[in-house]
Amino acid sequence: MLRRFRLEEPESVKEACELLARHGESARIYAGGTELLLAMKEGLIQYERLINVKKITGLDQVKLENGTIRIGALTPHRKLENDPVLKQKLPAFVRMEHHVANVRVREVGTLGGNLCFAEPHADPGTLLMVLGAKLVAERASSRREIPAERFFVDAYETCLEADELLTDIHVPALPERAGAAYLKFGYLERPSVGVGLFIAWDQDAAIAEARIAVGCAGPKPKRVEEAEGLLKGKSARDAASALAQAGEIAGRAADAIGDLHGSAEYKEHIVGVLLKRAFQQISEQRSSKSSR
Amino acid sequence: MATKSSFTIVGKAARRVEGIEKVTGQAKFTVDLTIPGMLEGKVARSPYPHALVESIDTTRAEKLPGVVAVLTRADVKDINPYFGHCLRDRPLIALDRVRYVGEPVAAVAAVDALTAQEALSLVEVKYKELPVMATFDDSLTPGAPILHPDIQGEGAYHELKKLQAEIQTNVCHHEHIEEGDVGTGFAESDRIFEDVFEFPMVYHYTMEPHAAIAKVDANGITVWSSCAHPFVVRAELALIFEQPLSKVQVLVPYVGGAYGGKSYTKIEPLVVALARKAGQPVRLEQSVPESMLTNRRHSARVWIKTGVKRDGTLVAREAKVLLDTGAYADNGPRVARRAATRIHGPYRIGNYNIDALAVYTNTCPAGSFRSIGGPQSIWALESHMDIMAEQLGIDPLEFRLKNLLKRGDIVKSGAKPMDADLLSDLKQVAVKLDWKGSAKRRTGSGVGLAVGVTDSEAVPVSTAIVRLLADGSVVLMSGSTEVGQGTRTVLCQIAAEELSVALEKVTMHSTDTNVTPFDRSTGASRSTTVMGTAVRAAAADLRAQLIEIGAEILKAKPEQIVLKDGEIIAGEYRIGYTKALHTYFGMPGGELIGRGYCRPGGGMSPIYPLFWETGLGGADVEVDVETGEIKLNRFVGLADVGKAINPPQCEGQDEGAAMMGIGHTLFESLIYDKGQPLNPNLVDYRVPSFRNLPAVFDTILVENQDGPGPHGAKGMGETGIVSPAPAIGNALARATGVRIRELPLTPERVWRALRDKSSK
Repeated sequence: MLRRFRLEEPESVKEACELLARHGESARIYAGGTELLLAMKEGLIQYERLINVKKITGLDQVKLENGTIRIGALTPHRKLENDPVLKQKLPAFVRMEHHVANVRVREVGTLGGNLCFAEPHADPGTLLMVLGAKLVAERASSRREIPAERFFVDAYETCLEADELLTDIHVPALPERAGAAYLKFGYLERPSVGVGLFIAWDQDAAIAEARIAVGCAGPKPKRVEEAEGLLKGKSARDAASALAQAGEIAGRAADAIGDLHGSAEYKEHIVGVLLKRAFQQISEQRSSKSSR
Repeated sequence: MATKSSFTIVGKAARRVEGIEKVTGQAKFTVDLTIPGMLEGKVARSPYPHALVESIDTTRAEKLPGVVAVLTRADVKDINPYFGHCLRDRPLIALDRVRYVGEPVAAVAAVDALTAQEALSLVEVKYKELPVMATFDDSLTPGAPILHPDIQGEGAYHELKKLQAEIQTNVCHHEHIEEGDVGTGFAESDRIFEDVFEFPMVYHYTMEPHAAIAKVDANGITVWSSCAHPFVVRAELALIFEQPLSKVQVLVPYVGGAYGGKSYTKIEPLVVALARKAGQPVRLEQSVPESMLTNRRHSARVWIKTGVKRDGTLVAREAKVLLDTGAYADNGPRVARRAATRIHGPYRIGNYNIDALAVYTNTCPAGSFRSIGGPQSIWALESHMDIMAEQLGIDPLEFRLKNLLKRGDIVKSGAKPMDADLLSDLKQVAVKLDWKGSAKRRTGSGVGLAVGVTDSEAVPVSTAIVRLLADGSVVLMSGSTEVGQGTRTVLCQIAAEELSVALEKVTMHSTDTNVTPFDRSTGASRSTTVMGTAVRAAAADLRAQLIEIGAEILKAKPEQIVLKDGEIIAGEYRIGYTKALHTYFGMPGGELIGRGYCRPGGGMSPIYPLFWETGLGGADVEVDVETGEIKLNRFVGLADVGKAINPPQCEGQDEGAAMMGIGHTLFESLIYDKGQPLNPNLVDYRVPSFRNLPAVFDTILVENQDGPGPHGAKGMGETGIVSPAPAIGNALARATGVRIRELPLTPERVWRALRDKSSK
């Protein structure tokens, strides 16, 4: 059950960062609380202080500015899955959000909270990596942009400094000749494996850019550049035949852990299956788009 | 009671009598109650699967402000602290040693739950670890340490002819049945098949975990509990605390799901002992993880061997069912007993030799769970049937039809002959499944069948009282627990029908053992059949009184009297029940009381079982051969219910049971590693949800009005759980050619089997 704690309610980012600086590791940011409170109720973690950032205004908006979508860190998943801008510019992101946990979690859980809690079985981080997202961290007097692939350090650990607050997620809108997909698989409550794929084609329909990321299988989501290399510069047909090998490389790179979700071997295999299916999904969307 | 051919209330889709109360959130469950002066209890549990408790120091915990009492073994020396309705082998709090992770070692009562929780960390316990019997293989190893060297004798409800722990072994009960001569049978067989199947430990996920409130004062013991068997709890508390039954009051508010996990006695003795020490009422509200370490279903290994003639005639069967009963017997002996009959199955086999053993291990105690011993043995039996059919080159449907018992055939000596039409039942399932058309399916998709028939555990002892109040409303007093299955609605329907009053006139309240008459238990699909018989008898008793009174008032002969819509009618004369009562008592008050008993030989056959409960199933699956995931296109269930008192409720029960079966087939497994539970929570232990429903879900209710219960009803609601596993396993085998002998059929398990097959 939930132990006693003090609740701080800052009204600005600056105030929140000051509280973080003052209380260090005895305090924790509280946004949606869907993961944090669960762990606290189970007695797995304890904090003297929770800093409720939901009183800070303006951090739950989605805006399109100069080809970049700016998502406030406090935006709940439910809002993201229904956002008209995202639906138009990043349909793969909307689909991923639509399948985060369940509707009760999506209603209160926030994107920022999801990323900062760094639960290994979370979905958004993996897709954000292939979408080229940057995460904006602020402290009382400065701010920095962190590429998504550098954000996660380990299970439940990010590169945020003790006094930093994640405020925004910047995602480039999907280029014209590009597609993205996120697929996951599992049979427990949380996914066992997640794969994110981004493909951009050049004018000759060769793959100009390929980004692959795997999540859930290991301690943190990871880009797999070695596997990406196998697809780059290839035609759709050649890429399809290179997928099995790319899947094997991505599987090995996943740092898959054998646990209740499955053996490492099985998870590696599933990475390959999902990568293949993600590629098929993107290819089908591309052909249906071009046939329109 | 004359047989009725037309009904006004029975057989109709009557709305749930407690439905509005529940959907509007007004229904009260144990955790919703507040008793004046009530403290909150929390339990310190053993982190070790097997250890001696060397010392317990509660000094620091007792000093924490807000703590009223800390209960340990030192506080139960003046009572008999052992309980167990079969075997009194379980102390209400750890004495010299702990036998499973999660066993209560100390309990705190404090002014609030948080304080009680904080106090737990201040209780200092020194343990000395002992060798762990993690599985029944460990426990059955010659020379293994004995987990229960000194059992305190039979419990209050053993009800088994022979029951005794095998001295100096870890077998808590050994059930053996045999008939004919298996040696000769195997010698006469053309083919002999042998298989081993494994069934996992599973947890009865109920929305409401175990909860109880206890009060001990000059009036005796009062307990409010989420229990399904209040009269068993009363009997056990009376034994432990050495009180007469009249001084032990058990009250049961609504119960948020039970499925066997709240059968018999669970946390009540501990809460009473804690309240006794605190001198104040105490509530213990468990979390789901705590309840997952309170009770579970027996995991099992089933060895089965069958001799068959070339034409598919079954000749001989040998089987051995090993059941992991965990640290304490609970209902293990009965589970073994049922497993033995259930592995025999509803087929003609003259020669059989079957053993079922409940074995102690250092894991959470296993007890009742919807169809005890059924899913374990029928998973094995019905998978084995398909394996044999395939090897013999006979269609599995034809193979079953050839061997299934017909109505009136002997199942085993001394037992009630088969009382259902299994052949036509199975044919109906096959038609719904398009069995014939399925031969043309592509690889990766297929259909499978299973026949589940179980000997109901129902003990035919129930009592009911029906009271006709001065305003014509009726109070039904029955000890059946409303656990969500809809028993109140059904019993009220039976009473209303018999009394010729509208359903709305009848109210059934929750059980209070001080006023509600005795009932054996709510479980074993017995309430409609057994309690229903008592309720109908009570209503008939009241009806007879009304006829007599009516005859007197209307100056008619009793045989001229008709009761209809709350009126007593004799020709053109009529009088309402209310007015009749007023006339009879000479004042606008008074009430009539009808009583009904059901006992063996009195309203119910003394021959076991009361009825054979049926749960046939058919599955249509689609297998993702790359991931190993099984998708259910369709599930067909069939239950022979005799007479559906409330058809939508019967369908709901059967589908709920099938869904629970789909749970242990595809997802659920409580995993232990050397006595340590690895997934006692709902994140890591996966219970199916709405998204796992079969795309098409059919339930067929067979109504021949031939059951022993009211209007020909017989029990249902349990056996629907047994067919999904073998039906899905058989469908998987037919779809892909891989046969998996261990549940659950997780994607990884299926993927590995497919890979092993293709690499051969």
